[in-house]
Amino acid sequence: MTALASRPSRRRRPARIVLHIFLWAIAVGWLVPLLLALYAALRPYAETAELGYFSWPRDLSLHYFSEAWRRGGLPKYYRNTMVITVPAVLTTLFFSSFVAFLIARRRVPGGKFLLVLFAAGNLLPQQVLATPLYVLYKEIPLPWWMNWPSESLFDSYWGVIAIHVAFQTGFCVFVLANYMNTVPAELVEAAIVDGAGVWKQYWHVILPLVRPALGALGTLEFAWIYNDFFWAVILMSTGDKFPVTTALNNLRGEYFTDYNLLAAGSLLVAFPTVLVFFILQRQFIAGLTLGSSKG
Amino acid sequence: MANPPFQIPVARRSLLRVATLGAGALAVPAAVAGCEKPSDGDGDSVTFGSNYSDEVPKQAIAEVLQESELNVKINTVDHNTFQENINRYLQATPDDVFTWFAGFRMQFFAAQHLATDVSDVWSDIGGSFSDAFKQASTGQDGKQYFVPFYLYPWAVFYRKSLFQARGYEIPKTWDEYQALAARMQADGLAPIAMGNKDGWPAMGTFDYLNMRLNGYEFHVDLLAGREPWDSPKVKQVFGLWTELLPFTQAGANGRTWQEAAQSLVAKEAGMYLLGMFVGQQFPEGADYDDLSYFPFPTITEANGQDAVEAPIDGFMISSKAKNVDGAKRLLRYLATPEAQNAYLASDPNNIACNTEASTSGYNALQGKAVELVSGAKHISQFLDRDTRPDFASTVMIPSLQTFLNNPRDIDGLCQQIEAQKKSIFTS
Repeated sequence: MTALASRPSRRRRPARIVLHIFLWAIAVGWLVPLLLALYAALRPYAETAELGYFSWPRDLSLHYFSEAWRRGGLPKYYRNTMVITVPAVLTTLFFSSFVAFLIARRRVPGGKFLLVLFAAGNLLPQQVLATPLYVLYKEIPLPWWMNWPSESLFDSYWGVIAIHVAFQTGFCVFVLANYMNTVPAELVEAAIVDGAGVWKQYWHVILPLVRPALGALGTLEFAWIYNDFFWAVILMSTGDKFPVTTALNNLRGEYFTDYNLLAAGSLLVAFPTVLVFFILQRQFIAGLTLGSSKG
Repeated sequence: MANPPFQIPVARRSLLRVATLGAGALAVPAAVAGCEKPSDGDGDSVTFGSNYSDEVPKQAIAEVLQESELNVKINTVDHNTFQENINRYLQATPDDVFTWFAGFRMQFFAAQHLATDVSDVWSDIGGSFSDAFKQASTGQDGKQYFVPFYLYPWAVFYRKSLFQARGYEIPKTWDEYQALAARMQADGLAPIAMGNKDGWPAMGTFDYLNMRLNGYEFHVDLLAGREPWDSPKVKQVFGLWTELLPFTQAGANGRTWQEAAQSLVAKEAGMYLLGMFVGQQFPEGADYDDLSYFPFPTITEANGQDAVEAPIDGFMISSKAKNVDGAKRLLRYLATPEAQNAYLASDPNNIACNTEASTSGYNALQGKAVELVSGAKHISQFLDRDTRPDFASTVMIPSLQTFLNNPRDIDGLCQQIEAQKKSIFTS
C-alpha cells in the first residue's frame, strides 16, 4: 500500500474503484438474505406459495410480525432470555476482569499458566460436556425456593447461567488480560505510591481504562449468550422457562411450516442483538482498534 | 494531603439508594423462604408434559384438560425439541403424564423402565378400542404402556374432479396402479407427486410397498432390527419402487411435501401418497372438498390391503410420576369418546381412536379414514415411529434420498443399510 500511496492520485483511482466494488459486493451479499427474509415476512404464504419468493408483491402487510409476536409468545420468552443473559454477561465480565487483573497486573505465581489454561478452555467443544453436565446437574440439589419443582440444578436458570459464565470467562480473561497489559504499569505504580489497595487499583485505575474492551466484550457476550439454544434445551425441561431462541420452534408446525411467519419471527428474535450492538457500537469499535494498537 | 486520594465520588443519596436496593435484593429469597413450600400436590393435581405446540392443538388440548375433574398443569415444549429431548426428559424430572407415540417408540422407553404399566387402565377402557389399537399400545413384555388418543391414515390422495373429467378409475391392484400412472403421463400430468426434501415423506412409500409385498409382521420385524436389510425381500421392495420412479415427479429430494402438495392442488400432479395432513395445503371450500383418497393398491393376494399406515398419538405415564393414581385417572378420562371428540372438534386432519367416538362432526375425509382404519387388521406407525429414532434419522433418511437420486445400485444400498443397522441396534 505504501508504494501505491506514493504514486499520483490519478493512478490510485482504479484500485479504489475495485475496492469499492468489492466492498459493496460483500455488503450486498450479507444483506440480501436478511432483506429477502424481510420481504418474505411482509407477504402472505398463499401468495409466495403460488408465485415463488422471487416475484413482485401483491399484498404487503405487517400482519406476520404481530402474528409471530402473539403466537410465538415472544414477550414471555424475551423475558426468560434476559433472566439468563443479563446476569450471565455481568457475572462473566466481573469475574474475568478480576482474573485478568491478577494475571496482568499483580503477577501472581502461575499467572501465565492460568492464562494459557483459560485460552485453551476456549478450544474445548461445548457439546462434549453435554451429557456429563446433564447427569451432574440432575444430582445437585437446590433448595425448593431456588428451583421448583425439580429441586435440582437441572431445569433451573441458575444452572444455565453458571455454564455460560464458566464457558465465557475463559475467552474474556484472555482478551482482558492482553488488553490490561497495554495499560502502562506506571499508572498502577503511581496509585500504589498514593496508598491505593488492590481493590482500588482494580476498581479506580484499571477498570475505567479497559472500558472499551469491556464494552466490546459485553456486546459479543450478549450476542453469544442470547443466541444460545444448546444449553437451555439440554439443561431445562420446562417449556415456559425456555429462552427466546426456542420460541421460533413454536412457529413451526408439526407437518406444515409457514416460512413467511418464521421469517417474521426470526427478525423479531434477532432484533435485540442488533439493538445492543448499536448501543454499544462506539465502545465496540474503540475496543477493537485500541486492542490492536500495541504490537 | 488536603484532599485524600481516591475519594469515592458518590453522593450520599445515591449511596442510600444502592444500599436500599441491595437490602431489598437480599430480602427477596428470605421473603420467599418465609412462605410455605408448595406441596407435591394432592391426589387431584397432575402434571402434563405436552408436545402439542401448534397453536390450534395447544388450545384444544388445554380445553379438554380443563374439562377433566383433575387439576392439570400443562408443560408445553415444541414438538421438535420434545422429541429430541425425550430421553433426557424422562430420566430427569418428567411430568406425570406425557404425550407420545404408539408402537416401537413407546416400547423402546417401556423396555428401559421409563414408563409406568397402565394395564389396569386398559382393563377398564379396552372395550372401546379395537385389537389393532391394543396391539399398538402393548410393550414387548405384553403389558400396556400407552393410551391412544387420535390418529390419521396415510393413503393415495387425488382430486375427484380430475378423475371424473378424465375418466380415471380408482386402481385396486399394482397393475392397475401402473396403468393409471401411464395414462396420466400420456395426458401430460405428473402421475405421482413426491416431495422428500425433509427426508421422511418417502418413508411412507417404502412402508406401503413393504407391507403390501411382505406383510405387516415383516414390516415390524424389519424395523425392530430382527430381519436383515440386505435380504431379497427388501431388495424386491426397492425393485418395485423403481417401477414407479418413471411416473414420479423428478427431483423429489429438492421439493418439500408442501410444494408437492401444491402441484396436486394445481392439478399438475395426479396422485400423492401422503398422510391426511396434506389437506392443510388445500384452500378451504371447493378445493378441500374435492380432495379424496384411496388405499394403496394390492400387490400380493396374501396381504391384500389388510394393513393401514396410521400413526397414533396418545399418552403415557412416566416412571417417575409423582401422582400415579391421578395420572391413571387422567388417562381414563382422555380415553373417553367425549374427550376425544372434544379435542377433534378443532382438528379436521385426525380421527378419534375410541370406536365409540361420535363421527357426526367428521368431514368426508375423516369419514373415509374411519372406514379405512376400522377395516384394517393391522395399523402400522410409520417407519420413523416403528424403529429406533437414530436409525430412522441417520440411516433411513439419507438412504432413501440416495435411492431417489440413484435407483440403480439397490444391492449396494441394502448392504450399507444393513451394516449401519447392525452398529446402531447393537450399541
